[in-house]
Amino acid sequence: MARTRAKGPAASTSKADDTKKPPASSTSSVYTLPPTSDNPSKLFILPKSVSPTTARVITLHHPRNNKPSRFLVCPESGFFEFTTVASPLRSAPRSWLVQSSSSSSSSSSSVSVSQQPETPAATDPTNPQTTTPKTEIIQSPTLHLTTPYDPLFLLLPALFANPSSSSSNDSKRMFLSLDDHLDTLPDPSRHLASLLSTTNPSSTATRQLVEARMAAVCDTVEAGGEIMYRVSEGKVVREVLGKARAVLGGPGTTLEGGKGDEKGKLPGSMEERFVRRALEAPVLGVRVDWKGAGAGGNGSGSGTATPTTTGESQESVASTETVGSSATEVSAASTAATSTSVAADGEGDNGVASAMTASEEVVHLQRLRVAFDYICARYIDPSITATLKTHLAKESTTTGLGVDFGPLDQYLAQLAKVRQEAAAERSGDFSRKRGGDEEQDERAEKRRKQEAEEKAKKASMSRGVKNLMKVNTNGMKKMSDFFKKK
Amino acid sequence: MSQLMLTLKSAPLSGETPKATPHLLPCRIHHDGPAEPARAFWDPKPSEDGSSQTAYFRGRKLHGTTVNLPPDYRGIVAVTSAAAAPKDGEPEVIDLEAPDSDNIGLPQGTLQTQAEFDEMVVWGHETAVDAAGDAYLRGVGEWLELAGKIHAYPTPLTKEK
Repeated sequence: MARTRAKGPAASTSKADDTKKPPASSTSSVYTLPPTSDNPSKLFILPKSVSPTTARVITLHHPRNNKPSRFLVCPESGFFEFTTVASPLRSAPRSWLVQSSSSSSSSSSSVSVSQQPETPAATDPTNPQTTTPKTEIIQSPTLHLTTPYDPLFLLLPALFANPSSSSSNDSKRMFLSLDDHLDTLPDPSRHLASLLSTTNPSSTATRQLVEARMAAVCDTVEAGGEIMYRVSEGKVVREVLGKARAVLGGPGTTLEGGKGDEKGKLPGSMEERFVRRALEAPVLGVRVDWKGAGAGGNGSGSGTATPTTTGESQESVASTETVGSSATEVSAASTAATSTSVAADGEGDNGVASAMTASEEVVHLQRLRVAFDYICARYIDPSITATLKTHLAKESTTTGLGVDFGPLDQYLAQLAKVRQEAAAERSGDFSRKRGGDEEQDERAEKRRKQEAEEKAKKASMSRGVKNLMKVNTNGMKKMSDFFKKK
Repeated sequence: MSQLMLTLKSAPLSGETPKATPHLLPCRIHHDGPAEPARAFWDPKPSEDGSSQTAYFRGRKLHGTTVNLPPDYRGIVAVTSAAAAPKDGEPEVIDLEAPDSDNIGLPQGTLQTQAEFDEMVVWGHETAVDAAGDAYLRGVGEWLELAGKIHAYPTPLTKEK
């Protein structure tokens, strides 16, 4: 921030703007900048499907954090939420510079080429070309992403808001009409109400949409010409799980997607952080494997050099316990470890290549769970999430959802064990090393103490005594001589 | 301000919305609003291999990474404003307000589109920004797609997919 304004603080805005001028311009009055506008532009990224005429930006309570947040509602294409991307002011200051032209999008480069002959510090600010690209500075580096939003998440708090919800028993919850449910939603600015009000002609589509989403997670009963809804936990779990599957699968994969989602992956950064790292076994296991092969089989005899399948993981776990104690072995092993990790990266198509390798199924389950947790964490109230998770755990064992996290749990438990062992192994190494250090430390400490004591003693002696100590007493009689028996 | 119900509106002037290219500079500029003429201090050029751009800003070399928006998204540069009273010629707003007493007190605003863009350039100082670490690149690259998948639901028309 400070770097861009090297000319130092300027009191007025016009002075501050001078600093933006090219160094080539000798005078400071060539350009005048209009004063800072108090209503800066904002950058949005919108889906093309949003109809510009009927869409509304409204404020609703976010179902997760219960704060008012902005949503975009379009009768044709549904609900959209805003996600704001911004960079931290301190660590990465940024601002927008928007060049706009009415001619073409690639004008920034083409026009610049055409203007090459002119000197950068052209004194005529109103030359004919500059009217085409207009430049605007936006100080705040925010970018608002508008992404589709399932109104289901908006409804969930209302559906679970019934007083009896704490008992988490389906039968105790009452059937209510859509409007009754909506009444329980916090809607401080009444945006949702006005959007869905029956007198609003453009609301019918939105209303239909909300009803459809409601029906997807509720048991319905028709009473008096009106459909009454009651939330069904099973359906909610099914729906969220379906979404998790859709995240893994292609865009068209829905709840019934079934087999098609096997090879799906999470987005890159999520995949790396939550799937690869979470399932990765400690590298120590590999190291031991290599040592066993390289140092002539003083391990448990696991001769295979490359880390492989889950079946072998047991073996490598066993060999962890036979780690040699001499330092040379350890260092040799660690050099081997670096080479293995490189090799593993090279071959690592499955991402996980170390002592334990997760099977395809386990990786897939982990992805599914990460996706599920992510959706819950972002859109669903913690209390509802807890309900859903217990329900999921209950259901998955009875295979009501076609998903069994059993293998994943087994793998994770095993992985935790291996990690613990590895950690113990390492801490053992450290303590051994530190043991030697400590001895040395102790000795040094003792010496220091002694010195300090001596110093203190000396300091307490008087000057006369000190001087007397320097006297050469050789050849003199000792004091005790005078008191000997004669 | 944030409590207003906003209506989207396209460019006010001619029928055509101007095209824009937002550049995300790796520095803070304490100014909002137009900065003309920009040519003298902002002149990005495509680099030799064509994949990125370079520019010199106040003597510092910047590397730009061009981010293309997904095909079904568009970017807009917009200004929010609180419209004091809905004018004529905005039938939607009037329809919304007139029949229902609930709506009369609702403050209305507009989101006025100034320009459109379908690509933006994220600039890094001396080096190009790291695609895995940069929030903007990830936001556009990953989040738009992910959100679309999370929130995909059967529309009322094509209910049984």
